[in-house]
Amino acid sequence: MLKAFLFIFIVFCSSFSFAVPLNNVEKFRWDDLEIVWLPEERHPTYVLTVYFADGALSDGADKGTTETMFNLISSGTRRFSQKDIADNLEFFGVSHGGVSNHEYSTYSVSGLVKDIIPTMKKVCHLFNDATFPIREIQKARRRYESSLKSMVNNHGALSSRIFRELSLEGTPFSYPVGGKLKDKRRWHQKNLLSKLDYFNKKVKKRIYITGPSEVKSIQKIIKDECGWKGQGQFVRSSNVDKKINQDAPRIVFVKVPKANQSQVKIGRFLNDSELKEDELMLLMTKYLGGGFTARLMRELRVKRGLTYSVYAFAAGQKDYGRSAINTFTKEETTGELLSVVRDVVTRVGAGEIPETELNLAKNGLAGGHLFQFEQTKAFLDQLVFMDHVGRPYSSLMELPDKIKSFSAADVARVAKEIFNWNSQTIVILGSPKAAAQLKEFGKVEYRNYKDFL
Amino acid sequence: MNKMITRMMNIFLVLALINSCAQNKTKSNQNDSHKVEANNSAESELKVHKKVLANGLKVLVVENNRLPIMSYYTFYNIGGRHEGPGTTGATHFLEHMMFKGAKKYGPGQFDSFIEGVGGSTNAYTNFDNTVYYENLPSSHLATVIDMEADRMANLLLEPKAFESERKVVFEERKMRYENSPRGQLFLATMKAIFEGTPYGGSVIGEEADLASLTREQVWDFFKKFYTPDNATIVIVGDVSAHKVFELVEASFGKMSPSTKEVQAYKASKNDKALYEHRGRYNRDIRLHGEAPYPIFSLSFPGKPITEDEAFVMDMLSSILGDGESSYLVQKFVKGKKPILNSVSAFNYTLKYNGIFSISGELLPRVSLGKTKSRLISALKKSCKEAVTPRNLQKTKNQYMIDYFGNFETNAGLAHFLGLREAYFNDYAFYKKEIDIYQNITVEQVKESCEKLFSTNKSIFLSVWKKHPKK
Repeated sequence: MLKAFLFIFIVFCSSFSFAVPLNNVEKFRWDDLEIVWLPEERHPTYVLTVYFADGALSDGADKGTTETMFNLISSGTRRFSQKDIADNLEFFGVSHGGVSNHEYSTYSVSGLVKDIIPTMKKVCHLFNDATFPIREIQKARRRYESSLKSMVNNHGALSSRIFRELSLEGTPFSYPVGGKLKDKRRWHQKNLLSKLDYFNKKVKKRIYITGPSEVKSIQKIIKDECGWKGQGQFVRSSNVDKKINQDAPRIVFVKVPKANQSQVKIGRFLNDSELKEDELMLLMTKYLGGGFTARLMRELRVKRGLTYSVYAFAAGQKDYGRSAINTFTKEETTGELLSVVRDVVTRVGAGEIPETELNLAKNGLAGGHLFQFEQTKAFLDQLVFMDHVGRPYSSLMELPDKIKSFSAADVARVAKEIFNWNSQTIVILGSPKAAAQLKEFGKVEYRNYKDFL
Repeated sequence: MNKMITRMMNIFLVLALINSCAQNKTKSNQNDSHKVEANNSAESELKVHKKVLANGLKVLVVENNRLPIMSYYTFYNIGGRHEGPGTTGATHFLEHMMFKGAKKYGPGQFDSFIEGVGGSTNAYTNFDNTVYYENLPSSHLATVIDMEADRMANLLLEPKAFESERKVVFEERKMRYENSPRGQLFLATMKAIFEGTPYGGSVIGEEADLASLTREQVWDFFKKFYTPDNATIVIVGDVSAHKVFELVEASFGKMSPSTKEVQAYKASKNDKALYEHRGRYNRDIRLHGEAPYPIFSLSFPGKPITEDEAFVMDMLSSILGDGESSYLVQKFVKGKKPILNSVSAFNYTLKYNGIFSISGELLPRVSLGKTKSRLISALKKSCKEAVTPRNLQKTKNQYMIDYFGNFETNAGLAHFLGLREAYFNDYAFYKKEIDIYQNITVEQVKESCEKLFSTNKSIFLSVWKKHPKK
């Protein structure tokens, strides 16, 4: 076996000539089910991802049900216990699991190609015969309660959760995908079975596979044992238009016990109409907060030693987007850090962007784009996302040229639109000593972190 | 010792790695006889080109022309174990300063160049090593070699940047440890189990030491340890080994190795006797921290990465705590009456000694004292109940699959090879370690298990908001 591993590795090392893997992607159908295959001969392994065109927005009042359904799908079937299932799959070294966001969900399986048939039979068995045993649901509720309450000692994660809810407030995307503590009482066997049935029968699916051609041997299993033939056609779509009419930033302070550092999150909701210039937004956030040489990193860390890290992003899903600047600092310098960030985004929005600095960001994005093709799973995930948002794969290759075409004025314009100071939601999580420094930035709301659990 | 290193790296990534920023044919059936078979004849497969310069600098190259990109790793044999009272945190601080400019490539130029061509760069420090890496388009090979040589030979260590970076390190310390009960637990666990040894400090540094560290102290570490004979370079990507050796020779070849005095000093730090366990066992250490439910570690003295038994203990830790079907997860998290939200086992092996630890978090309304008793009792039983032929084979299968993850990227392979060169003085050690793992028997794991858990040589640490403040 090892010899085989290493033989394949030699091939990887010595016989591939440079070719963009994108050219090799094949699309075809098994019955009406769309398949995307990324041939990958380097290792005797595969990754299979099932894309479902719906996510947590399908939960309605039963918040958290989609995520819980995927989490508990391997907790028991009519024939096997949770222990049996875990032991069987782990014996073969298989990794598997589901991920949901508001718009869509995926379930991924990976392992050795030689085991793909028994593995997929097992996975299909889970999707067809999962019973969501009541005892397992009760255990999951207890773990969930413990995990959420423990979030108070993970300030980064807690502030992100709070920031998301507040900055997206008024939209269906603000509620946590997994639900809150109060929602776990809605996790019932009946709800979870109904949710699984919905995803199996109603929701549009697409399968992405990477690996050698043998991976196509699962066609019959997908059809007969998973029962996925492309009959489900529902695709989640939302039409949200959030108006942000603020004449000052919304500043929210959240106290947590014994913090000697403030978490700082600044950003807002982005409407679908604002997502058209995604490459330009990518450049703008790269320039502002994407690496050691980014403008905010230089101002906050290099010049002033105010933080260890800062990063910015502005990106969209299919129907909405988010922007954010994430950083932290010691409690005593919270005000100073906010002041510097405000100054930087204002200057960038006003066009104070030295050409050399912008070129650094442009060349960085253009030069680094080949790295996105290096790791197979990451590449496969990109294909899933491109299909989800309805963008052609070729746009991945066009990125360098597009980035190079943007001017400093373009970047300033989009920075001003997205990080306009007055339209931001600012969440500070930390100690009261930090709160006292916020008044100079405007009216401060005080919230209890427990409201967000 | 892939698994060992992999696990070690996972722990590092969360707590111990201190970064500069802000990362055929096999038998196939579904019964217990399923095996992933190893083969001894792996000699010629990985085409690694190796050269050792006259000044002692080691260079490893793997050519991979799949994409026009490359990864460049530098492993320096310096880490937290080289520090002492008053200088804890110095090697990590120095790691930060290595990005702050050298003679030819001044302040900001290193990062600017790497990021400006689409690359990325970072570093980490642990008790044994300091590791720097760059991923970038391979057309910039010559420049990155020149830049690395520049900072090895001519670091500026400017006073103003030094003071500014001190603040950054304090922020990192707050983020990773002061505001994180898990970080708090990790630091305390390492200090307790390695008490009185060079591994009993903290890589991030004691607060007082960080506040008082001088530029001269850090400079002393740089002069002693940043020499070609104390470093290994690993380059994987779309490069020619011949060209790499030529460029490295030109840039690094004239540097002097460390002096005999320094070599003697370094050798004194490698005295195995310094690292022998001398912790005070049978202790229950309770730390106040902001954990609403207790988090804990139950730790035992482990073995150095190079000892055979360390491999066996790797297997034991996986059987006990890797995956949903593992013994402790089934018993305490997924079982009929769970008492833990999570549990894991790790065998953290360092160059000269190790630690075997079980850690976890209690569920609400569960007694910490009873949990400790039940855990100790379960560990004793585990040698019979968990160490079975099937569980051992499952672990071996998982280890073999883990190898592929290392080979997916240039960076993964460079790191994989560099770690083996750093710890075993032999990048090709992976061939032996695969054999070692494959040949481990149930009896060996049972013996190791019984030896570990039948003694009372353990330290129980917990962090909880209801523990008294000291």
